Amino acid sequence: MTKAFLTGVALGALLLAPAAASAAPPGETIFADNCAACHQASGKGVPGAFPALAGNKFVLGAPAPVISTILNGRGGMPAFKSELTDLQLAQVTSYIRSGWGNKAAVVTPAQVIGVRNSTQAMAEQRGLQAH
Amino acid sequence: MHENKGTAPGSTLSRRRFFETLAAVGGVSLAMAGMDALGFGFASAQAMPPPLQGGAKGKKVIILGAGLAGLTSAYELTKAGYQVQILEARPVAGGRVQAARKGFVDTDLAGNRQECNFDDGLYINTGPWRIPYHHQSTLHYVREFNVPVELFNNDNDAAYVFFEKGSGPLAGKPVRKGQIAADARGYTAELMAKMAGKGDLDGALSAEDREIFMAYLVNEGRLSRKDMTYHGTDGRGFEILPGAGVSPGPGKEAEPYAFSDVLNSRAWRVLSSVAGWEQQRTMFEPVGGMDMIPRGFVKNLPPVITYNAKVDRIRQNASGVRVSYTDGSGKSSEVAGDYVICTIPLSVLKNIPMDASKPFVAAMSNVAYAPVNKIGLQMKTRFWETNHWIYGGHIYNDIPGIGTISLPSSGWHTGKGVLLGYYSFGGEAARISALSPEKRAQFAVAQGQKIFPEYGDNFETAFSKSWHLDPYNLGGWAEWNEDGRKSAYPLLNEPDGRIYLAGEHLTYLGGWQAGAIESAWAQIAKLHARVQQA
Repeated sequence: MTKAFLTGVALGALLLAPAAASAAPPGETIFADNCAACHQASGKGVPGAFPALAGNKFVLGAPAPVISTILNGRGGMPAFKSELTDLQLAQVTSYIRSGWGNKAAVVTPAQVIGVRNSTQAMAEQRGLQAH
Repeated sequence: MHENKGTAPGSTLSRRRFFETLAAVGGVSLAMAGMDALGFGFASAQAMPPPLQGGAKGKKVIILGAGLAGLTSAYELTKAGYQVQILEARPVAGGRVQAARKGFVDTDLAGNRQECNFDDGLYINTGPWRIPYHHQSTLHYVREFNVPVELFNNDNDAAYVFFEKGSGPLAGKPVRKGQIAADARGYTAELMAKMAGKGDLDGALSAEDREIFMAYLVNEGRLSRKDMTYHGTDGRGFEILPGAGVSPGPGKEAEPYAFSDVLNSRAWRVLSSVAGWEQQRTMFEPVGGMDMIPRGFVKNLPPVITYNAKVDRIRQNASGVRVSYTDGSGKSSEVAGDYVICTIPLSVLKNIPMDASKPFVAAMSNVAYAPVNKIGLQMKTRFWETNHWIYGGHIYNDIPGIGTISLPSSGWHTGKGVLLGYYSFGGEAARISALSPEKRAQFAVAQGQKIFPEYGDNFETAFSKSWHLDPYNLGGWAEWNEDGRKSAYPLLNEPDGRIYLAGEHLTYLGGWQAGAIESAWAQIAKLHARVQQA
């Protein structure tokens, strides 16, 4: 194994370190961690697979359906109801509504709680086993 | 009923003897049918393909996808006399049933191209990797194609549990699962025994039941009969192993952990009264990789698969179906037939234009697909066996992005080995998949190092798979919510005109090979019944 790789291993350990040191706003960090693999850091998505969020009418529209989609997943997108807190969900929803030139109202944790309740999207403990 | 051979006159024929007699006279299938009739729950429809009798009336079926649902459809329909053609987007059959071994190439949507560089003979099942004993549909084809299988170790008392998010002295320490099990159950039994001894449970137990309950607790928790107390047990291991002579002689049992330390560790999360239905032992794996199953199908099919064929559009009218696709050279082609069996995952299919009713098309968006990551790490020694005495099984942990680490159930003592470095789902899988393949490996090695200090020195090469970044899957498996099951699911299980959907997504066996196979069985039975009626 190369020395470069060992250095990389040390960096890998840092990947899980708390994001406190990061200067980026929390919504952007949450997006980078949880969403960017599919929707891309540019918000442009992957055509034919993952929709662009930049300039997306649905994202810029009424907040409740957007929050519900992130909580519950939809058509290929996973549910984040168990992965993120109400505050984190509010921050990341606000980020996608204001990033890449998007201009829509920010979302509050109270709105997230409201949609959690109305769609029965409570956090569940992750199982240890799947298939 | 058959003669009561061996039954004394006037005695009742025992059920067991009855089944033995059936088996002797009519073979196992008659005995199974008998068990089914008596409500023992062996449903033949889930263990055997549907009988497709009466001929195919010259019909041609276009099958989209050469995963297990498509291969099953093609195999059974061919046997029944249908003309079939499979369009498969990949250059190989199997769909999600893949094994990465030397030379295997995979490019994801982010443009990460990986070529597997494991040593010859080593592999990782990037998709399905275990077959529970009750998945008789999968085992049917294992038998049909003579695919050699070996035991898959799905539970190992000697394997470590590693929970960082607990508290107390056991948090963030590798602890053997059998020790946690012995202590958690021992202390619980002790508490119950002491309550029962004081009469605290008299309202719930008769005097007679209480005696039996106490005996059960002593046995279950390995309590001392003298004081009804848990003092540990040899099953949880030794500080000094027993051996020859007087030293080590009897050895020295390891002391149990304190009950409060066990509780606070959260490591008890790995324990339940019985394994979930889908996790139960016995489990199997094909020798050499799960793709031995699709290879079995391909070997036993005529050359009906068109590879590198990406479906562009699915058309139908009152007289037939037409499917256009782009072939490997980038040329557009079209095939025509009487029916389509489409096994393309809904996550991908919803982006392919199709002549189908609006509700049918809308229903496809009512299901989520799970982000799923796996990584195989080739290690130059099998340190988990030689240093830790862990032969197969899983290292359950709460490290975000790792999920489960799993040790191979084959190749014991052969020098090198490939272990499963992470198997994770949902948002935490999405997060790690955003890294380059090299960074994913660095992440997996850095995290695994917390449990096995040998990781860093032994790691050689990795192969990672993120199913949600695979253009032909866009997710590991379908995840239905309650609403989707009620509205979309029944709709998609019925044909829309001449188009039938099949796959794990249309079952309650989501993500399992058995789901793909049994969905195909259900749909070809419907299609065949329609052809017979026409």
